[in-house]
Amino acid sequence: MSIYKDLLWYFKMEKKSYAIGVMTLLMVSLLNLIAPYVIGVIVDEIAGATLTGEALVKWMGLILAAALAIYVLRFVWRIFIFGAAFRLSRLLRNRLYQHFTKQSPQFYHKRRTGDLMAHATNDISAIELTAGDGVLTLVDSISMGGAVVIAMAFTISWELTLVALLPMPFMAFATSRYGAMLHQRFHKAQEAFSDINDKVQENVSGVRVVKAFGQEEPEQGEFADLAEQAARKNISVARIDALFDPTISMVVASSFFLAVAYGSTLVVKEEITIGQLTQFTALLGHLIWPMLAFGWLFNIVERGRASWDRVSALLAVEPDVTDRDGARDETPSGDVTFDIAAFAYPEKETAALTDIRVELKRGQTLGLVGKTGSGKTTLLKLLLREFDLQDGDLRIGGTSIYEYKLNALRDAIGYVPQDHFLFSATIAENIAFGRPDATMEEIHAAARLAVIHEDILRFEDGYGTVVGERGVTLSGGQKQRISIARALLMNPEVLILDDSLSAVDAKTEQAILDALQAERADKTTLISAHRLSAIEHADLILVLEDGRIAERGTHGELIEQGGWYAEMHRRQQLESLVAEGGNAHGVPTSDRVYEATQ
Amino acid sequence: MVFRRLIGYMKPHSKTLTLAFSLLILATAADVAGPYLIKVFIDDYLTPRNFDRNALLLLGAGYLMLYVASAFLNYYQLLSFHKIAQWVVKQLRLDVFGKVQRLGLAFFDRTPGGSLVSRITNDTEAVKDLYISVLSTFVQNIVFMIGVFVAMFLLDVRLAAMCLVLLPILFALMQGYRYLSSKVYHLQRSKLSVINAKLNESIQGMSIIQAMRQQKRLRGEFGTVNHEYYEAGVKSIKLNGLMVRPAVDLLYMLTLIVVLSFFSVKSFESVVEIGVIFAFLSYLDRFFEPVNQMMFRLSQMQQALVAAERVFELLDEDKWAPGQDARFAGTSPQIGEGRIEFRNVTFSYDGRNDVLKNISFVAEPGQTVALVGHTGSGKSSIINLMMRFYEIEQGEITLDGAPLGAYTDEELRRKMGLVLQDPFLFVGDVKQNIRLHNQDITDEEVVEAARFVQADGFIQKLPHGYDEPVGERGATFSSGQRQLLSFARTMALNPKILVLDEATASVDTETEEAIQSALENMRQGRTTVAIAHRLSTIQDADLILVLHRGEIVERGNHQELLAMEGLYHKMYLLQQGGVEQAG
Repeated sequence: MSIYKDLLWYFKMEKKSYAIGVMTLLMVSLLNLIAPYVIGVIVDEIAGATLTGEALVKWMGLILAAALAIYVLRFVWRIFIFGAAFRLSRLLRNRLYQHFTKQSPQFYHKRRTGDLMAHATNDISAIELTAGDGVLTLVDSISMGGAVVIAMAFTISWELTLVALLPMPFMAFATSRYGAMLHQRFHKAQEAFSDINDKVQENVSGVRVVKAFGQEEPEQGEFADLAEQAARKNISVARIDALFDPTISMVVASSFFLAVAYGSTLVVKEEITIGQLTQFTALLGHLIWPMLAFGWLFNIVERGRASWDRVSALLAVEPDVTDRDGARDETPSGDVTFDIAAFAYPEKETAALTDIRVELKRGQTLGLVGKTGSGKTTLLKLLLREFDLQDGDLRIGGTSIYEYKLNALRDAIGYVPQDHFLFSATIAENIAFGRPDATMEEIHAAARLAVIHEDILRFEDGYGTVVGERGVTLSGGQKQRISIARALLMNPEVLILDDSLSAVDAKTEQAILDALQAERADKTTLISAHRLSAIEHADLILVLEDGRIAERGTHGELIEQGGWYAEMHRRQQLESLVAEGGNAHGVPTSDRVYEATQ
Repeated sequence: MVFRRLIGYMKPHSKTLTLAFSLLILATAADVAGPYLIKVFIDDYLTPRNFDRNALLLLGAGYLMLYVASAFLNYYQLLSFHKIAQWVVKQLRLDVFGKVQRLGLAFFDRTPGGSLVSRITNDTEAVKDLYISVLSTFVQNIVFMIGVFVAMFLLDVRLAAMCLVLLPILFALMQGYRYLSSKVYHLQRSKLSVINAKLNESIQGMSIIQAMRQQKRLRGEFGTVNHEYYEAGVKSIKLNGLMVRPAVDLLYMLTLIVVLSFFSVKSFESVVEIGVIFAFLSYLDRFFEPVNQMMFRLSQMQQALVAAERVFELLDEDKWAPGQDARFAGTSPQIGEGRIEFRNVTFSYDGRNDVLKNISFVAEPGQTVALVGHTGSGKSSIINLMMRFYEIEQGEITLDGAPLGAYTDEELRRKMGLVLQDPFLFVGDVKQNIRLHNQDITDEEVVEAARFVQADGFIQKLPHGYDEPVGERGATFSSGQRQLLSFARTMALNPKILVLDEATASVDTETEEAIQSALENMRQGRTTVAIAHRLSTIQDADLILVLHRGEIVERGNHQELLAMEGLYHKMYLLQQGGVEQAG
C-alpha cells in the first residue's frame, strides 16, 4: 500500500477530482441500499395484503429515481477518478519525456531504446491502474465492507460479528505475503518483456544483415528462448496470482462456518432468532465481493509499486551535464580555446584525449584529421558539452564554456554529426529543425549553401518530401547535406562538421567548402575529416593520434614537416594520380551532368 | 473469424483445456453446494432443534472439505488457464516472429520498424487476457445464466417468459458496446503507437535535439500527442461509463420494478407465495451478476480482438522473401566457380516504375565487376536482386549456369558475402558480431578475419579486446570502427562471391588503403560485384558498368571506357573540375 504514500502528492494535486469521485462513489453505495429496502417493504405489504396501487406506484417511482441517479453518479465518478488517473499517466509520461531531453549521450549508451519506451508506456499504465481502479477498489471495498460490518454488528450481534471476522487477519496476512512474492516475480516478468522488445527491435532494424548472412533461423532460435523465458516468468507470476481467489474464498467459507456454528448456539440460547441468523449469513454473503476486491487491490498495488519503482528510479537519474550555478545566459562568441589536460570517458580508464591545447581566433577554421578512433569526434563533443571535461578547460571568447548555460552555449554552436539523423518529417521541416520559424526563402538558401537544393527539387514533392523512417530513402550523401543545411540555417557562431562530407563527392565537397568560406568569413568552423581535401584550407590543422596532437600547422607547414599528414597527402594525391587526376571519392549526385551529355 | 483463429490456437492444449474446464465446473459446483449445506443445516437441524451430533459433524466436516476441495480446484483451474494463455501467446509470438523472418525486404521497405515491434510484443501480450479470463468467464457465466433461467421457469413460467425479453436487450447492448468500443480502442491503440513512434525517434535523435536546442518544442509536440492519447482514454471512460456496469445495473433496476409490480398486481387478485417472490428476486440478482461479469470482460475481449486482428494481419502477409524455386525443391546445387550472369533483367519495386531496364552482363569466375552511377541509377537494385532480396519479374540471373532460384538460401548466404553500406552491429560483444550465430567459426578464425581487414589493431586496444561489449547499434564505436567490424564479419564467412555495396564511405585513408589491399587479396579467386566509390578501385576491374536511370549506358574496362570518350570519360573530366571542357 506504500504506493499510495508515494502518490500522495498527486492525490493532493487532484484533490478536487478525487474528493468528488469518492463522494459520488459513497453516494452510489448509499443509493444502492434503497432497492433492497423497498423490496422488504413491498414483500411485507404483500404478505400483509396491505399494498395499495398508489403505494406501489410511489415505491416503484422511488426505485426508478434511485436507478437513474445511480446511473448518472456512476458515470460521474468514473469521469473524476479514472480521468484523474489518466491525467496522472499523461503527467508522468510528459515528465519522463522532459527528463529524457535533459540526459546526455552517456545515459543513452547505457540503456536500450526498447526499455526506455517500456517505461513510458507499460510501466506508466500500471501506475495509472493503481491511481484509478486501485483507488476505486479501495474505496468501494472499504465502504461496502464497512457498511456491511456495521449493519451486522449493530442490527444483529456484535459478538457474532466478531467471531465471523476472526479469519480476516489471516486473509490480510496471506494477501500481503502474496503481494510481496508477486512484486519480485512481476518485476522479472516485466524485464523478460523488455528483453523481447529489445530483441525484436534489433532484429527488425538489422534485417538486411540478418538476411544477407542467412541468420533467420538462429535469430528465431534466440527469440524462441526469450519468448519461452517470458512465458515461464509469467507463469511463475500466475502461480501466485492464482492463490488470491481460492485463499479468499477459503477465508469467506470459514467465516460462514464460524458464523453459523456460533450463531446456532446464540439461537439456542435465544439471543438471536433464526431469521436474524439467516439475515446475518445473507449480509456475510455481501462481504465476498469487497474481500475479493481487496485481493485484487493487492495485486494492482503491487504491480503499480513495481512500475513506480522503475519509473522513479529512471526519473531520479541526475543529468550528468547541467548548468552550473550562476551560469551566464548570453550566447558566447569569440576565440575558441581548447585547454585540455586529459579527458577519459566515464567508466573508462584510458584517456581519450591528452594534452590538447589550441587557440583558434574568431573566424578561423580548424581541421582535425587522424585515424579512426584517434579522438576527433570526442574533441568536438566536448565543445558541445555532450560530456564534461574534468581536467582542463574549454573557452569561447576567453570565458569557460562551463560558465555559460547549456542552452546559451548550444545556441552558439551548429553541429553536423557523423551519424546523420533525420526526423520523420518533410525535408523543409528537417532543415528548419533548429529554427522552426524560418521562412521558405531561408530554408532554400541554406539548402543551396549545402548544395542540396537541386536534389530536393528533383523529388516529386520537393521540399515537402517526407523523410525518416516512414519516408523516402535518401542516399548517405543527401542525408549529410540535409543535416549540413540544418546546421547552416542556424547561422551559428561556431560550426562543427564531424566527418560530415564523407559521403559527398569531391566536387560537391568543394562547392560546400567554398560556400562556407564565403558565408562564414567572420565565424569559426571546426571540421573533422578523413579526406584531407576537406580541411586543406583550414587555418590550423591538427593531426590526432591516440588522443594526442601528433602534428599541427597549416597545410603547407604540415606538408613540409613530412610526417603522417604529408604521407597521407602523398597517398591521397597518388590515388588521384592513379585515377588520372580524378579526385573522385563519391559518385556524382547531380543529374545535370548526364543531361548535358545526352 | 479472428475469434475462431484464436480458438484454434488452443488445439494443442485441448487436454489441459478440458482439464481446466472440468476443474472450473467442479469448483463452481462446490461453490454452489456450500450455501445449500448451510440451508440444510438451518432448515433441517437448527429450526427443529435437532442436534444429532454425528449428522452435524458430518455436515460441518463436509462443508469444510467442500471448500478446501474447491480452493484446490480453483487454484489449478486458474493456473491452467494462465498456462494455456502463456503458451498460446508464446506460440503466437514465435509464429509472427518466424513469419517476419521469412518476409522479403519489399515488406520491410514499407513497414516502419516500430510498428512491427509493437505487433510482435505488445499486441500478442494484449491477446493473453482472452485466454486467461475472458473464455473462462464467458463459459462459466453462460452456464450460470442457463441454470438461473431453468430455475425461474420452474418458479413461474409466465414471469420467466417475460424475463426472456432481457436476452435480446442484453445482446443488443453487448453488440452496440462491441461496435462502439472497437472504434474507441482502435483510436486508443493508434494514438499509443504514435506516442511510441515519437518516443523512439526522440530517443534516437536526442543529440540533435539537444544540439539544436529544440527540447522545449519537442516536449510541446510530445505533450500534444500525449494529450490526444489522454483524450482517447477519456472517450473510453465515457463509453464504459455509459454502457457497461452502470447500464446493466440500470437494466436490473428496471427489471426489478417490472417483477415487483407483477407480483404486486398479482397479489391484488390472488394470494402470492412469499417464498416464490424471494426466490425469484434472488435468481434475478444472480442472473445479473454474470451479465456484469461478461460485460466487464467484453471490453477486455474487444481489446484482445483488436490486437489479435493486427497480429493476424501480419501473419497473413504474403510478401515472402524469395527462396529456392519450387521447381528445384529437394535439390541442393553448390556454387562452385562463381560465374554470375544477368540476362535481360527488368525490375521494379512498386510494379510501376522500372528501376532496372533490360540489364545483361556476365561476371566470369574471379572477375571484378564495378557498378558506377549516381543515386537512383540502379546500382543497389542490381545487388539486391543478386542477393535474392527481391523476386525478379523479367529476365534471369544465373549462377554457374543455374538460375538463382535453384539454390537454397543456405547455399546462397554462405557463398555470397555482402558488405553493407550501413554497418549494423548487434548487442553482444565484438566476437559475436564477427561470428554472428555461426558456431563453427572458431575464435582463431574470428581474429584472422579481423586481422584481414586491419580491425585487429583497434580491437586489441579495447579494454576487453574481442570480448568488449557492444551496445545498442554499436553506439560506443565510431562509424569507421563499425565499418571495419562489418567487413570482418563478411570475411569470417570466407565467401565465394563478394558483394560490396558502397562500403567504403567513412573510413580514414590509412584504413581505407589497408582495406583496399585486403579486398584485393580477397578478390583473388572470388567473383566480385562492387558499387564503386573511388575510381582508383575500378582501375583494375575487369568490367565497369555505367548505369543511368536503370540502364547500362556504357560498359568496358577503365581504359576502354576512357577511350570511348562517353559518359564515363565526361564524369572524369567533370570530377576534375573540367565542366567547361566537357560541355
